[in-house]
Amino acid sequence: MNIRKEISVLLLLLSLILALLPLSANRSFVAKPERLLSEVMNEGVSFTVDQVAEFIVREDPSVQLIDLRSPEDFRRQAVPGAVNVPYPEFINSDPDIWLGNRNIRNIFYSTGDLEPDYALVYARGLGYGNSYVMEGGIAEWERTIMQTRFTGNRITARENALFETRRRAGEMFTELNSLPDSLKSKFLESRKFSAKKLDGGCE
Amino acid sequence: MAPLSSYYVFPEWLSMLTALLIGTGFGFALEQAGFSSSRKLAGMFYGYDTTVLKVFFTAAIVALIGSQFMGFFGLLNLNQVYVNEFYVTASIVGGVIMGAGFIMGGFCPGTGLCALSIGKIDAMVFIAGGFAGAFLFTESYPKIEELANANFRGPVKINEALGISPGLFTLILVAAAVAMFWIAELAEKKFARPEITNEL
Repeated sequence: MNIRKEISVLLLLLSLILALLPLSANRSFVAKPERLLSEVMNEGVSFTVDQVAEFIVREDPSVQLIDLRSPEDFRRQAVPGAVNVPYPEFINSDPDIWLGNRNIRNIFYSTGDLEPDYALVYARGLGYGNSYVMEGGIAEWERTIMQTRFTGNRITARENALFETRRRAGEMFTELNSLPDSLKSKFLESRKFSAKKLDGGCE
Repeated sequence: MAPLSSYYVFPEWLSMLTALLIGTGFGFALEQAGFSSSRKLAGMFYGYDTTVLKVFFTAAIVALIGSQFMGFFGLLNLNQVYVNEFYVTASIVGGVIMGAGFIMGGFCPGTGLCALSIGKIDAMVFIAGGFAGAFLFTESYPKIEELANANFRGPVKINEALGISPGLFTLILVAAAVAMFWIAELAEKKFARPEITNEL
């Protein structure tokens, strides 16, 4: 066998090994910077806490809340229905695990706006147009939903509906967060993403 | 360990020095392989000498295999390796212009500079043509901006577009390369021009 054939065989064998190795497929940023910027600056990519409260009260199955805070913060206080994906974990793992289902709108939130906005740019840059943020994060939730009060004598039907939604969402929030620690951990654990579960198929 | 150069880690002068050393090594290798002869490069078009295809494709697949193994063993962070952005229309139009320039001039930009450095007159004309083209492109950019930016796909990789793993894509590419080398050797026999190749 001449040297050219030997090198060809060697390269083929090495690439065969590569084909069998579990290499992680890094995804590329597909959005053009200017377009991405205008997309994430658009109001259509964010939901107010009132809109999120309505999703929670209606138990909307097309919405998934993603809490980007640390597991400790999440255990202390979480919005009902949210799953915890700490920001560093979100950035360093394959986003397809969290955002792969295109029929679900994923709404990021954290304590404030910074991390959800970063996550939004990252996710939309990778082509996940089903990513949104909750404006103001947990801080805004506390201000608007938890501290809502009815004052005055008259209330319009519209205000009444809004007040009812806030009250119900606030109750759900308090119920979840006042569970004993052991029960809460179990409940939150059951809501953790599992790649295996998401893969589907028969077991 | 790698990439060797990073905007945030190395000072600018060290990045430039790294580029100079790598560039000098690359130029030396090109000249040693006889790539500063336009007849050798034109041979690729006419089929009598397919060294260009074999050398560049071998370099590409060796780098591909090496970088993936290094990535797997944690020696290279492939996330930090720059991937060119893909403008579909510009790539097609630019590819046709570059191909035409390649066969008319007998050089690609790298080998042209290589031949220029050993004093070849045709390379001087070729590089002057390259500068003229760059000037024309810059001056006419406002008029062709839309075309240049059309069909932007981002820094997408082929394996991503095909939805296959990087390792499987490497295997397919290497198999295709080996098949091409075999066809290239057959072409060299069929279109042999001993009066040219014996001189190279």
